[in-house]
Parts: sequence; structure tokens; C-alpha cells
Amino acid sequence: MKKKILSVILAGAMAMSLAACGGGNSGGDSAGGNGGGASSGGDKGGTLAVAIWDNGQKAGLDQIIADFTAETGVKAEIQVITWDQYWTLLEAGASGGDMPDVFWMHSNEAQKYMENDILMDLTDRIAASEKLEMDKFPEDIKNMYSWDGKTYAVPKDVDTIALFYNKTMFDEAGISYPDESWTWDDFYDAAVKLTKDDGSQFGTAMNPSNEQDGWMNIIYSMGGRVLSEDKKSSGFDDPNTIKAMEYVQKLIDNAMPPATTMAETGTDVLLGSGKIAMLSQGSWMVPQFKEHEYIAENCDVAVLPKDPETGRRVSLYNGLGWAVSAKTANPDAAWQLVEWFGTKDMQLKQAQLGVTMAAYDGVSDDWKNNTDKFNLQPYLDMREDTVFRPSTRATLTWWNPMCEILKEAWNGNKPMADCCAEVAAEMNEAIANE
Amino acid sequence: MANESKSVTKKKWTSQEKNECIWGWAFILPTMIGLIILNIWPIFDTIIQSFFKTGDFGKGNIFIGLQNYKTILGDPEIWQALLNTFKYAIVEVPFSIAIALVLAVLLNRKMVGRAAYRTIFFLPMVAAPAAIAMVWRWLYNSEFGLLNHILGTKTNWISNPSIAVFAVAIIGIWSIVGYNMVLFLAGLQDIPRDYYEASSIDGANGINQFFNITIPLLSPTIFFVAITRVIGGLQVFDLIFMVMDKNNPALYKTQSLVYLFYQESFVNNNKGMGSAIVVFLLIIIMIITVLQMQMQKHVYYN
Repeated sequence: MKKKILSVILAGAMAMSLAACGGGNSGGDSAGGNGGGASSGGDKGGTLAVAIWDNGQKAGLDQIIADFTAETGVKAEIQVITWDQYWTLLEAGASGGDMPDVFWMHSNEAQKYMENDILMDLTDRIAASEKLEMDKFPEDIKNMYSWDGKTYAVPKDVDTIALFYNKTMFDEAGISYPDESWTWDDFYDAAVKLTKDDGSQFGTAMNPSNEQDGWMNIIYSMGGRVLSEDKKSSGFDDPNTIKAMEYVQKLIDNAMPPATTMAETGTDVLLGSGKIAMLSQGSWMVPQFKEHEYIAENCDVAVLPKDPETGRRVSLYNGLGWAVSAKTANPDAAWQLVEWFGTKDMQLKQAQLGVTMAAYDGVSDDWKNNTDKFNLQPYLDMREDTVFRPSTRATLTWWNPMCEILKEAWNGNKPMADCCAEVAAEMNEAIANE
Repeated sequence: MANESKSVTKKKWTSQEKNECIWGWAFILPTMIGLIILNIWPIFDTIIQSFFKTGDFGKGNIFIGLQNYKTILGDPEIWQALLNTFKYAIVEVPFSIAIALVLAVLLNRKMVGRAAYRTIFFLPMVAAPAAIAMVWRWLYNSEFGLLNHILGTKTNWISNPSIAVFAVAIIGIWSIVGYNMVLFLAGLQDIPRDYYEASSIDGANGINQFFNITIPLLSPTIFFVAITRVIGGLQVFDLIFMVMDKNNPALYKTQSLVYLFYQESFVNNNKGMGSAIVVFLLIIIMIITVLQMQMQKHVYYN
């Protein structure tokens, strides 16, 4: 009996150790496994495999795909893979493995994929399409997904940044809610007032990696820049950029939780747990926030503050694209699906369902009605003065060192101005090596 | 088998020997094919790749000789990561072995609920490492974590650079103890009961028996566990990857060599540099394992 139990445990142990080896073999392998799953449905006549990274959008996109299946008879299945693993999977697929048939493209990575013929060239199909109206999509996004005169993706959405604020905390402190009259100085004053000495509440929060949804908006509204016009050099040596980052430093020192807390917990959790009063956040978080009991109950949305000198109230914006794998077994069906996503009706539906704002011009007004929890008009207003999210051919090679260096300022180990100089040097070197 | 075949190579093989030889190879063939395709081939592929500046998607690799190695050996981040890796292993390996050994001895006696205890200690091994890491990440959270709540402290367990690596090692210990324990339990079955009976007649108590009978006779298992755990400890990745956020100020003092390999290979897409880092780690693990084997010759109780 004893032997039997032991042998069972041992057999279990061996099975586990095998599993552990498999899991421990680094994220690359496990993501590769996902890749197999994602594309297993990509056989001819079978289901199209669609890969995305945002779970919050799955429900809405599923409905749009259901319409597509009803119309064409072609089935498609969405698989959600977390952001980090998404790119590992795609990279592995592109280097010789299986790829999903249809997937999202992002400005960080698009250039590399286009140059290496990983994506299907959609130029002729777009020209021949009767349903697509490419002139209705923003130029920046179309340019992002075009290279060498060819188009590789159909724009999916746009996003903007606005300010979430906790009404309850504002009421308690007797401060009037943020509105379009606010400057960054007003924002700072309010943030400091909303910070309690006992560490139970802070004005706002931001991590070094909250660039698009955080400090980069401040840089551009104060007249600075992250990249030069020609995208060949860093903008971190621009005096206005440094001024903006020193403003951020003031916020870190006087109105934010300790950098360690922000890094451990994440800014969205801090807002949702009533630790911070304000958070600049992207429109892509709305599906998640409207389902969050505390945030839906206590928070609302305002436009970002403006800079009194430049008079600008800037929101960075970015847009994803729907791309098709060059190796798909089902090019016609995959194209049909991408075309479907890009039609006016489906773009409108995407907005109405609250998936995201649509890339198609003029249909996003309906997006703000997807919830009565928040007033989403500010996100639409932020489209008036936008800057396209800075990116180069290999964005991540300077993006990661940038966050790494800024962490030093966040933790108070180095003055912000020194960090900016260091970031500028690192970026210039990384861009030169692209 | 190896000795046997060496002695018979000179004379002609009998048909039975031939038959055995063929079947012997046939039986290990599936494992061999698996090992060659999944392990050995990639090892050489990685070594070759480490001499290249790799292009996107594995196209357009440029041979650059030892440049990747020069870069990593001149990079303080690598040496810091090596130190972090050692710190992790030095905490994880001895503690996970010592605790597992004590548990194994305690759970080897006849007692009520023995199977239940064994199962409980083994459970962490069954859970997915990523899930374990996520749960511990919240236990450790300085703001909302259960640990600080119970202790009434404000410790930054995973964001204080001087303790974060040890906090991660504790998760490692917790998740591996059950596995080590099972191996020790198996080893304990091989120790004849007579020794314990004889020694207790001579007046030895439990502690005497533990140090003078159990540990010496269990030494082969202890060595096996030590060697495999050192290798496993030096390869730590998933815990750090899941527990430490990119923004975490303690990351620099916590990231392991495999973590850096992941960053280089899959985030920065510099596969050549990533390969150089794992080859560097491979050499270090080989040196340590050889040292352990040497030590085993001297201490091994046979």
C-alpha cells in the first residue's frame, strides 16, 4: 500500500517536473505553444484564426464577427493573447512557425513586419474594394501601415487620452471638478491638495511606462517633443521637453504615491482602489473601467489640462490596423474579414458597442453613448489637437532604455534633467543603429 | 552495457548479442530523437547564433565573431544579473533542500493524515508557476498585500532592491519544497529499518539517527537533488518575469541571466546577443556542475 502511494506520488512528480521544464523554458516557448493553438484553425475551408491582445474588446468584436459569419458563411475565432506574449508569438510565427490569419498591428512593430513581407500586401485588394472608403481614415494611421507605396493593414481604431477623476475625493476636498479651463498648473495645485499627509490618498499617479497615456501628453502640450520632425533624433534635449519632464518630477515628488507603490500596483488599480484622485488614461481603458464598480460609482472624465503658454491641449493618439498574414491558407476569406472590419457599418458598430472609437471619420460620436457611467465627450474633444504616438522603425530599442533611465528619476536617484540628457543620448544611438 | 560491449567488440558477435544491440538502440531511439531535435540541435543552433548579429525574423544574419560576447562581458548589467542569479540560487537551493529533508523524515513515520500532509506539501508543484507568481505578487504588495497587513509593516518586499531577490527566492522555495520532499521520501524507502532499530537499542535518539543514519545513507539522493536544483535555480525566469513589473525599481537588482536573455531575444529582438547570454550561462552552469561532481566523489557515502 505504502509503495503504491509513493509510486503514484512519484509518477505525479515526474509528470510535474516535465511540465515545469516546459513552462520554465522561457516565455518564448509557451507563447509558441499559443501560436500553434491560434493557427490550428487556419486550415483551408476551416475557421479563420484572429489574434488580438485586448480582452476588453473581445466581446464586441465577437459580435461583429458573428455578423460576418452570417453574411459570408466564413467562421472566425478570436484568440486573446496578452501584449507581451502577443509579439513573441507573432515573431515566432513570422520566423517560420504558424501565424494567425488575421491580427492587429501596432505602431511599435509595424515597420519591421512590412519590410520583411510578413504581412499580405493589401494594396490591390483595397483599390478593388467596393466597400472600403480609405479616404475616411486618418492619414497618420494609413501612413503607419504603408511602406514603399504598398498598404499592409486597414485602420481599425483611434484612441485619445483624457483625465479620469474621482468626484468623491474632489467633493471631500472642496475643489471644483477639472474642466477645459484647467492648465497644468491648476492640475498640479489640485493634485497637491488632494494628497493626504498620512499616505492614504494621492493626487495622481504615473509610471515611466505610462508614456502615451501619461507624460508624453505633457511634453507635447508644453511645446516639447519626443522625436525630431524627421524621426532621426531624440527630442529629449529640447528645453521644452525637459521643462515638461521637470513638471512631471514635481508631481512625482509632491502628489504621487512612492514610485515603488506605483510600480508594484499599477496606476489603474490605484484609481480603482481609491488611492488616487486623478489619472490620465487612454480611451482603450473605458471598457474595463465601466465594469469596475468603484470607478463607475465615483469617477468621471474630463479633458486633459492645457499649457497656458502654448495654449495647446494635446492628446497623443495611436491607431491599430487589421493585418493579414502573408502565409495565410485562406487569403480571400481573411481579406474579406479585414475589409468587413473596415466598412462604415462595422466601424460604426464597433463604436456603438463601445469596443473602441472607430478609425472611420465621423462615426465615433456614437461611441460616447456606449455607457451612462461616465461622460465620454472629453475623449472625443481631445481629438481636436492630437499628436501621433512617436515611433521609429524599431521603436522598442529606444523605448525600453528610455523607461529604464526614467525609472532613476522616478525613484529619486538622479535629477530629471540628467535623465533626459541620458535618454537623448541613448535614443540617438539606438535610432542610428536601426 | 557500455562495458559489456567494449569487451566483446574484439570477438565476433553472437546473433543474440546483435539482436540485443539492435533492440537496445530501438528502445532508446524515441528518446534520442526527441533529445536531438528538441535539445541538442537547438543548443548548437544557439551557439552558432551567438556569433551573429541577427536580422529580423531570422533573415539577414551577419557574422560578427566574438562581438556579442565582448559586449555582454563589458556590460555591468550582465554581471549584476549573474550576481542576482547566484543570490537567488544560494537562498533557494539550501533552504528548499533542508526544509524538504526535514519534512520528508517527519512524513515518513506512521502518523494520522500522512497522505493528506504529503499532498498538501506537494500541491504548489501542481499549480502553474505563473499563477503562483501572481498570487505571491499580491501577497507581497506593499500597499494592499496580506503579508504587510498581518505583520503590520510597510515593507516593500518586491520593490526594495536589497530584499526583492530574496522575496522572490522565498516563492521559489515554497514552490519546490514538495518536489524535493517526494524525492527524499523515495530515497528514505531504501534505508533498511534494521539500522534504526539497532541504533535505538544502543540508545540513539531521533536526532542522532537523523544525522548518523538518515543523512549519510540518503546522500546519493541529496546530491542528485542538489545538482538538479542548482541548475534549476540558476535558470530562474518565470517567477521574476511574473512578479517584477517593468517599472519596478528593484528590477535591476533582481533580474536573472535568463530574464536578460528573454529581454534581449524576445523584446529587443536581438537574438544573437540573447544567445550569447545563454551560452555564458551554460558555461557557468557546467563549471558549477563539474565542481559539484568532484565534491560528490569525496563526500559520497557508499
